[in-house]
Amino acid sequence: MFFASGINGALGRAFLLVGIIGSLFGAIAAITSARQRDQAVAKLVPRFAILVFAASLGAFAVMERAMITRDFSLEYVQKVGSYSTPAAYNFAAVWSALEGSILMWVLILAGYTLGVTYWLRKKMDDVLSRYALGVMFIVSMFFFLLSFGPANPFAAGPEGVLDGPGPNPLLQNHLLVMFHPPLLYLGYVGMTVPFAFAIAALITGRLGEGWLLATRRWTLFAWGFLTIGIILGSWWSYEVLGWSGVWAWDPVENASFLPWITATAYIHSVLVQERRGMLRVWNLSLLVATFSLTILGTFLTRSGVVNSVHAFSQSAIGPWLLAFFAVIIIVSVGLIGWRGDRLHSPGSIDSPLSREGAFLANNVLFAVFAFVVLLGTVFPLVVEALQSRTIVVGEPFFDQLTIPIGITMLTIMAIAPVLPWRKASQELLSKRLFWPAWSGVLALAGSVWVGATGLAPLLTFGLGGFAAGSALRQVVLATRRQGLRGLVGRANGGMIVHLGVIIISVALAASNSFTHSQELNLEAGKVASFSGHTFELVDVVEEKTDRATAVKALVKIDGGKAYAPAITKYVLQGMNVGTPSVKTGLAYDVYLTLEPPVRQDENKARIKVFIKPLLLWLWIGGGLMALGTVLAAFPGRRRRNPTSPTSEDDFAADLLVML
Amino acid sequence: MKTTSVQNKWSWLLVVLSAVALLAFGSTRDSGPRTQADRIDAITKVLACPTCSGESVYVSRASGAEAIRAEVARQIAAGQRSDDDIIAYIEARFGSRVLLVPRSTGLDALIWVLPVFVLVCAVGTLGFAFRRWKVVGSDSISEEDAQLVERALREDR
Repeated sequence: MFFASGINGALGRAFLLVGIIGSLFGAIAAITSARQRDQAVAKLVPRFAILVFAASLGAFAVMERAMITRDFSLEYVQKVGSYSTPAAYNFAAVWSALEGSILMWVLILAGYTLGVTYWLRKKMDDVLSRYALGVMFIVSMFFFLLSFGPANPFAAGPEGVLDGPGPNPLLQNHLLVMFHPPLLYLGYVGMTVPFAFAIAALITGRLGEGWLLATRRWTLFAWGFLTIGIILGSWWSYEVLGWSGVWAWDPVENASFLPWITATAYIHSVLVQERRGMLRVWNLSLLVATFSLTILGTFLTRSGVVNSVHAFSQSAIGPWLLAFFAVIIIVSVGLIGWRGDRLHSPGSIDSPLSREGAFLANNVLFAVFAFVVLLGTVFPLVVEALQSRTIVVGEPFFDQLTIPIGITMLTIMAIAPVLPWRKASQELLSKRLFWPAWSGVLALAGSVWVGATGLAPLLTFGLGGFAAGSALRQVVLATRRQGLRGLVGRANGGMIVHLGVIIISVALAASNSFTHSQELNLEAGKVASFSGHTFELVDVVEEKTDRATAVKALVKIDGGKAYAPAITKYVLQGMNVGTPSVKTGLAYDVYLTLEPPVRQDENKARIKVFIKPLLLWLWIGGGLMALGTVLAAFPGRRRRNPTSPTSEDDFAADLLVML
Repeated sequence: MKTTSVQNKWSWLLVVLSAVALLAFGSTRDSGPRTQADRIDAITKVLACPTCSGESVYVSRASGAEAIRAEVARQIAAGQRSDDDIIAYIEARFGSRVLLVPRSTGLDALIWVLPVFVLVCAVGTLGFAFRRWKVVGSDSISEEDAQLVERALREDR
């Protein structure tokens, strides 16, 4: 029976089994050595980390081998493999469905476990590191079990299958498919690391600021990749899906966005804890929320529960994830309750008009934001469960609630960076906010001048200018003082991230509010025009390969280069996939889609033209966010050691030296 | 010194006034006539594709969505009905599951009420915390400590 699925199946399962056992023993070794302060057992922990990583790498490699050699004895390869899939997309086909994506999760998680072990190699005599690794191993074991049991990618399929349909055509249409999921997972799964340290800090009771500082870079790393992953996902949506949008608030998108929101809240509020020793319970809760939302999000989107409550029983992975989610919440809340006395932090926030006051306001908004997104995602489930009636919660709901939240956030973003800690006087604010405020007015005047209308977009542009002014003020002052070193460090890198966020907000407001579109019936030799551009059909061509037939309309824009929106008919799946063609520009994109029917006349084509203002700036803003994250991760100006008011923490000092 | 702060006050007034004026002008002016395509987009954005999960007709490329889009386009071309009438007509024809905006009656109203409730609670808690912090005030130092600092400073010199 073990060999029923052939060599790849057997090897893969063997690797997973090794991974389960390795994680189990790793967890046991880490936790017992922590409890009994046993140095000899602690020495074994890194070996288990290597073993577990090797096992996950082995399992993943076997899956790739099965996919590349088209081993159709495996059910998973039957589902997403095909001889007609090009090599690159075939490689990416491994993570194009549930079982393979869990396998990728396993690989990345084992990689993180190994990375953290290596990072802690000289700190293994510290009990806190052992507990943290213990948590990492336990989470790893859960995902190995998931992959071994309910989400088994190595299950044998029915015999006699010689070829499969390949991955969903939408996933073999653009190279971003290669990068978006792995990068997103690096962020998503990376949230396990700060969670593990939070649990370890709770267990050891060492709730000073040491562990926070220690994991700051891991959190930032994961957050950066989550950001890039989400933005690449939007880009993919824009380049592939053909409705000219970047974000549709669908459950899968929300599942990746929810932990991003809470992690962003954490990155801000943790500064209050570092500086003032306050908000300990809140920060721990944010880390727990971030990690548990990755599990809940996976449950919601991968168990089939969101499409319909009744699909619940069809997927075996659902109950596992839900149970794991419950365990995380119970354990975390229990630990926080148990350590309640040590979590109580002294000190107070003197004035709402201070840096820490602004961080608190920002956190309230982020919390409400996360709540809105979560509510909108699960509300249809609630209604269906209570009244067995289907409702749809879509973009209009999210837009109506998140746009006011976003605008309020921009306001805080404009004021907070100039606020000093503790207390701000009116004169100080008036002085520091003067030029940023004028840059806001200027941005507003500029956007009114170019013809922008509507309250929400105008507020976004004006406040965007204001916030950009505040961010630039910080960067300019820092670089004037310190030269290029003024660009690195948390505060300065953070302001570069802010600039990226502002650019994205402005680009979203512009492209959502001022997109206009028109269908054009083109005829060869006749020039149609829309929105100041001319469109001329050159030719309609048909390209046949063994997996698909593509119909392309070659359309010259303004008599220049020909763009080729297409509709591709995938033979095996019987699915039509439209592929837009985009003329990119700094001011706006011209986005062309070929409209059905698929069969087009040789000298006629129906196309749809979208004019998308400022869309390119979404990707520029995303790049700036990534750059700012990297800059923020470098140590900035030397600052005094943070105070740890209640618990003396040599771990922190040691780690600072080590870093 | 006094003059600068007065100047500042005036220039801040100018900032606020010009921002308000620009916003008022920009948000109320006519953005030009709506084309038929604009109307189709606006309507299809609040209609759900009947066969997909959570996508709007505007977004979806599924055949069910295409059918609704074509119907909306036909209605607009006919020029008889207003946007709301067209939405009501589509709802009557395809059922309430094609509405993308949750209703504000019955159980569905919760989705609108709960976020407001959470926001009020969060802001209330924050306000309460600030008030309590103000009362406690950790910054007051004892006379003894103040003297200690003073002595240390003197010795330093």
